[in-house]
Amino acid sequence: MMTALIRYTLATVIHSQRYLAPVMVFVVCVATASGSNQGPLPGVYAVNSGALLACAAWLSIAVISVEEPAHRAIAIVTAGSAVRVLIATLVTDCLVLAAMALGGLALPLLMAPHSITGADVLVGALAHLMCGTTGLAIGLLCSRLVFRRQGYAFLTASACVAAALLVSGMPPNTLFKHLANTGHGDTVLGSTTALATTGPALLAAAAVATHVISTRKD
Amino acid sequence: MLRLEAVSKRYGSGRWILRDIDLEIAPGTVVAVVGGNGSGKSTLLRLMVGVSRPTTGRVEGRPATVGYVPERFPPNERLSASTYLHHLGRIRGLSAAEADQRAGTLLDRLTLQGGNDAPLRTLSKGNTQKVALAQAILRQPDLLVLDEPWSGLDADAHGVLAGIIAETAAKGGAVVFTDHRESVTRANATHIHRIADGRISDPVTTDREVVEVVLTTGTHDPGWSGLTGVLSTATHDGQHIIRVDREHSDALLTTALRHGWSVDSLTPERRR
Repeated sequence: MMTALIRYTLATVIHSQRYLAPVMVFVVCVATASGSNQGPLPGVYAVNSGALLACAAWLSIAVISVEEPAHRAIAIVTAGSAVRVLIATLVTDCLVLAAMALGGLALPLLMAPHSITGADVLVGALAHLMCGTTGLAIGLLCSRLVFRRQGYAFLTASACVAAALLVSGMPPNTLFKHLANTGHGDTVLGSTTALATTGPALLAAAAVATHVISTRKD
Repeated sequence: MLRLEAVSKRYGSGRWILRDIDLEIAPGTVVAVVGGNGSGKSTLLRLMVGVSRPTTGRVEGRPATVGYVPERFPPNERLSASTYLHHLGRIRGLSAAEADQRAGTLLDRLTLQGGNDAPLRTLSKGNTQKVALAQAILRQPDLLVLDEPWSGLDADAHGVLAGIIAETAAKGGAVVFTDHRESVTRANATHIHRIADGRISDPVTTDREVVEVVLTTGTHDPGWSGLTGVLSTATHDGQHIIRVDREHSDALLTTALRHGWSVDSLTPERRR
């Protein structure tokens, strides 16, 4: 039944084409940044995962706003619980996010010559995982399920994304600094792994918070 | 059996939309909730199906299979009617073939116009309402909750909807619907509750007997829905299905036989 629910959510999202704008913007960012950057791979991946964070937040807001409240209500009654519908939305987000992350990892390798090591790619994958899930978490908390007014949601999401990327001490910001200041992935593998766990943890917390807030509002 | 115990609802610190609602919905009953705009009808229905939670009080005994038709079914979906119903049928645990077959049967019965494979947003309001109705009964529901289901439906679908409500109740399901027209509620409900200022009245029972008459092969249509005592009419597979008050059924049969119609069946509707 969960598979059927995920298929339905995915079909709705794909038909609505709302996912296209964040995905296209991400691809353009990555292509622009990677094409001209022949520096060490970790630095390139830092830029790409920063772009992924912003686009993932956008994606997650777009995916939830696709479904009209009435259609969501029907989905909840059909599936028998609001939690299942939220999980299906999250899985759909993650599927699109995984495709974007693959692009963020692969495009630099295809567009410019780099010396590649396994550690570089692994560090890049961890950075994408962390930034992607952090972005989804921000988007979820700024979605229509939590904010009824889209204007406030947009401002809050922009502020959160800017804070995550730019404020010193935020896990994504710390990660970017580590990656930018190293030429070899293996030197930062440990710290990156530790930082990367904050992303999925934040997403899980955001999902619980969104569920609690949205059921109170309904 | 669905039970609401001392249920109250408000959003944030706003006004109370529902106050101290106690309500039991027994299997096999058809319950109408009548009230003006903003009286809390839709909120009550949302609490029943579990889309919304009461601020205080409890909703208990919600059965496994619930069908819900919301007041508005915005046709913004780019999915077609058949794809939409296929997905919802699969979520309800039907196999792909079962879901498609059931969707086809329901859309035929409701005579969907505009195409089963056309995007929902291209359908008229009445036709999207038919899709909304079909999704609620993909599986035979134990509880069918309909918010203003007649709005926008064309006249022929009115009879089909009345038939679906009567069938669901006859199979032991409970039906709850809202409407603001006395004629509609009296024709379809076994119990009528009024709701005003967030409070609900004790039920008024409509204890009249209803007979379902199925007719075929007539030469002349005397305008069935205009005859005295007729509650609803529908056409299905060349048969005319007419629900009529017991006290007027003899007169209806006389008219039918005089116009060359043949009586296929005559069934007293089970009422509890």
